[in-house]
Amino acid sequence: MKSPVIAWRNIWRNKRRTLITAASVFFGVIFAAVMSSMQEGSYSKMIDNVVKFYSGYLQVQQEDYWENKTINNTFVLSDSLSGAIARIPGVTATAPRLESFALASSDELTKGAVVIGIDPEAEHRVTNLERWIIRGRYLHPGDSGILMGDELASYLHVDVGDTLVLLGMGYHGVSAAGKYPVAGIFRYPMPQFNRQFIYLDLKQAQELYWAPHRITSLVVMVRDHYQMPAARQALDTLIHPPLRVMSWDEMQPELVQLIASDRLGGKIFKAILYVIIAFGILGTVIMMFAERRRELAVMIAIGTQKRLLAWILFLEIVFIALLGVITGLAGSVAVNTWFYHHPIRVAGEAAKAFTDMGIEPVYAFSLMPSVFYNQVITVFILVMLVSLYPMIKTACLKVPQALRG
Amino acid sequence: MKIIEIRDLVKIYDSEEIRVTAVDHIDLSFEEGEFTAVVGPSGSGKTTFLNLVGGLDRPTSGRVIIHGIDLWSLRPHEITDFRLHNIGFVFQAYNLLPVLTALENVEFIMHLQGWPKAERQRRAVELLEAVGLADRLHSRPSRLSGGQQQRVAVARALASRPRFILADEPTANLDSHSTENLLNIMERLNREEGITFIFSTHDARVVKKARRIITLEDGKVIADEKR
Amino acid sequence: MLIAISWRNIWRNKLRSLVVIIAITLGIMAGVFSTAFMKGMMVQRLETAIRSEISNLQVHDSLFRITGELKYFIPKGMALAGSIDTLEHVRGTAPRIIVQAMISSAEAGSGVSVLGIEPEREKKVTDIIDHLEEGQYLEGVRRNPILISRKLADKLNLHLRSRVVLTLQDLDRNLTADAFRVAGIYRTTNTSYDEVHVFVRYDDLLRLTALPDGAVHEIAVRTDDDRFTPAVQQAIRHLAPRLEVLTWEQISPELRYIVAAMDQYMYLFIAIILLALLFGIINTMLMVILERRKEIGMLLAIGMSRLRVFGMILLETVMLTMAGGIVGIVGGILVSKYFEVHYIDLSMFGKGLEQWGYNSLVHTRIDPALVVTVTLMVIFTGIVAALYPAWKAIRYDPAEALRTE
Repeated sequence: MKSPVIAWRNIWRNKRRTLITAASVFFGVIFAAVMSSMQEGSYSKMIDNVVKFYSGYLQVQQEDYWENKTINNTFVLSDSLSGAIARIPGVTATAPRLESFALASSDELTKGAVVIGIDPEAEHRVTNLERWIIRGRYLHPGDSGILMGDELASYLHVDVGDTLVLLGMGYHGVSAAGKYPVAGIFRYPMPQFNRQFIYLDLKQAQELYWAPHRITSLVVMVRDHYQMPAARQALDTLIHPPLRVMSWDEMQPELVQLIASDRLGGKIFKAILYVIIAFGILGTVIMMFAERRRELAVMIAIGTQKRLLAWILFLEIVFIALLGVITGLAGSVAVNTWFYHHPIRVAGEAAKAFTDMGIEPVYAFSLMPSVFYNQVITVFILVMLVSLYPMIKTACLKVPQALRG
Repeated sequence: MKIIEIRDLVKIYDSEEIRVTAVDHIDLSFEEGEFTAVVGPSGSGKTTFLNLVGGLDRPTSGRVIIHGIDLWSLRPHEITDFRLHNIGFVFQAYNLLPVLTALENVEFIMHLQGWPKAERQRRAVELLEAVGLADRLHSRPSRLSGGQQQRVAVARALASRPRFILADEPTANLDSHSTENLLNIMERLNREEGITFIFSTHDARVVKKARRIITLEDGKVIADEKR
Repeated sequence: MLIAISWRNIWRNKLRSLVVIIAITLGIMAGVFSTAFMKGMMVQRLETAIRSEISNLQVHDSLFRITGELKYFIPKGMALAGSIDTLEHVRGTAPRIIVQAMISSAEAGSGVSVLGIEPEREKKVTDIIDHLEEGQYLEGVRRNPILISRKLADKLNLHLRSRVVLTLQDLDRNLTADAFRVAGIYRTTNTSYDEVHVFVRYDDLLRLTALPDGAVHEIAVRTDDDRFTPAVQQAIRHLAPRLEVLTWEQISPELRYIVAAMDQYMYLFIAIILLALLFGIINTMLMVILERRKEIGMLLAIGMSRLRVFGMILLETVMLTMAGGIVGIVGGILVSKYFEVHYIDLSMFGKGLEQWGYNSLVHTRIDPALVVTVTLMVIFTGIVAALYPAWKAIRYDPAEALRTE
């Protein structure tokens, strides 16, 4: 009789115990997979929200700009360079920006704002900006109007059609001032953008800041962050000092660290859970071995190799774990897929806490394969470790004593 | 006086494959002070009969009346309580709790009955002395021989002050020396204290000591000798 | 006697019991330590918020917080602050003018909240003075000293003695500006707060904003102990019935929410660990009663009521669980106590944590209420685990259990 068959039948000798042990593995797998899915889902969302709306995956900047974000550290983008970048495989869109700071004044109030001069069409290709307009209209090339976030607009008591004065610091220290009508108001899921951002047509911005043809950054988009490394390599060959390339993780180290710390915390918790489950499997294995000592001794006595017995015992552990893993994966695939398509929306006080922290109030799920295969790998490692017990015990089994007991 | 009356007792086991009549219309009665053996080959219904008398198994029909009380008219937890206070048991094996010492095992049944601590300790010592185990009070069953364990079981059965003691093949696992020993103790207790013993047995030596022998075959009483 | 029996029964199979006990110990220890960790982070966050940012109470004109407009000041606010100072349990009051402005260096600008303060009074309310990295608390510069944060200094490339210009809209809606000199640079563990707040002298800002003498926008109040805050709030409301008097919880409900959510999260954490342990405990106890079939049959036979047998199994399970639970709780407390003094260094995640105001040097904190709750949860788990095995045990038919063939 083949070993797998023997092993399979053996685990059903005590149906309840096998099922309970398998259930513990099921619990571990499904919990860990769902938790990982939620974590990765929320990270993707957080990254997306920042990258897709603001920083892009990559940016080309003047080499001093990042340390010293002033109008003086701008550059001129040549057409040839712009073309070359757009042709890099994997690059989906590029958009030039002139970003600076200004004091925005309405009739009654004043507030500091981040002013971004954009090429409306290019910008929309990169960030989908037009989609977030809630009142008024989007900008067209050469537009004299501005777009602003809804929270900023309500703070300044302005709406579409009102005029805003922008006061800032231009190229080489010249004072920058201008008056602009509000063309449109946008609302993005992350409040800090709604509180601070004003969009202006690029040429208008360049005039405002006395920096004709100059930009602070060229935003380069790829499809997703898996494509980024390849695109970056290609960019690196095109870009030389006085320009440099920056990727989103270099531009948002806080976000990167936050995600890293949360991921680490999650790993630790899952580790604790799996250790507990491993002990549970070990307990079952100890019981299985103890009650069959005599039987194993008989088998050895009549001529079965110890190695074969150890193999059968190993297979038994594998089968029990497999029961749990397969059902766990099936369950978690179902759960994760459902919530991937129907993310959980947070409401009430909780929602406010999320948005205050700059996170969209949703629980998003991820279907990254690693969410699932990580569990399989972990259980496999556990099975390996736990099976050391019956291996060692079988090797040390003394037949005469075992026959007596 | 009659302490046990069995009237038309029947026990039928009905499983998918077969139907067995283990006890087939038995009528018997037992008096106080008896030293009675119930004998018969394997499958004769001895164990079933004892289980029915001891309130451990429900008869298909018929009555078990102990000291005037129809046992099976009581509700299940009342029967359990009845056993606690009225019937002593000595089984072939697994009589004692392995985690308790001999002394504690005898004390245990008194604890169940609600005796105060000092009382039960005193009586437990007394009973263990009576069965000749005064020097093994604090030994756990794993340290006692088979015979010694059975003697502790007898002491425990006595401790609850039962009306009678049922012993199911008490000597089956013992060597001849221990068997002799145990029987002598039980006999002495019967003679001196008037304790009623009813046991089922295979063992000829046990049968020899009995003063009444009930023979069962195929669930029926085929002989009832008094000596 | 039942207690002795149950306890001794656990040790009949040392190996099997130890596997369960160790699993429980590890799980609970991890759980207790993790919750102490999270609690520590929360406590530090709150302390930072109260000591460096919000204080215990704030007093404003009822329209100031909603509109942020300069004109909603508290007339004779200085005098009011003086009166509040005399109240019982008030440690200090800090009257402030608050204005949104643009701060610009030679090259760049940023939006800030400017607070005009009186350093001597401010010292009693916030601990910014303890966070000075360089320079002094608005001293050492004769004209228009300003205190900025390290984050802002880096952003705008500023140093001690650098010259900056504050541009703002005064009470008469005129755009006005003045030069200030950096007198000090501070740094708290909340970089988001730091980036936006700068401090100048009350008199200097009063002049610049053209506000009437004695006007303030905000009076921050520090109480001796947060317990007294509600009482002080009442007293202040009595003094100034038409003004808005809010506690820190009312000003930042998201902080309160985060604390409450964290508490729930901690218990959920422990519950999941206990759930994972449940499988192993049930399996072990099922094995136990299976092995003791004859023994249990015997007990039922000699007259032990089913209720008592049920209780015996329940007791044994709870004791087994508690054996691991107590060691786990004590172990967790010990480890947490160690890290209460010798903090855990998370500075590799510093930027991410500090963006949201969390200290990267975490002191763990044990909450006595938590210890009690965890103990109860462990006991409850033992009881739940016992239910199925105990139920099976009392269903044993004594006649059947004793049958020897």
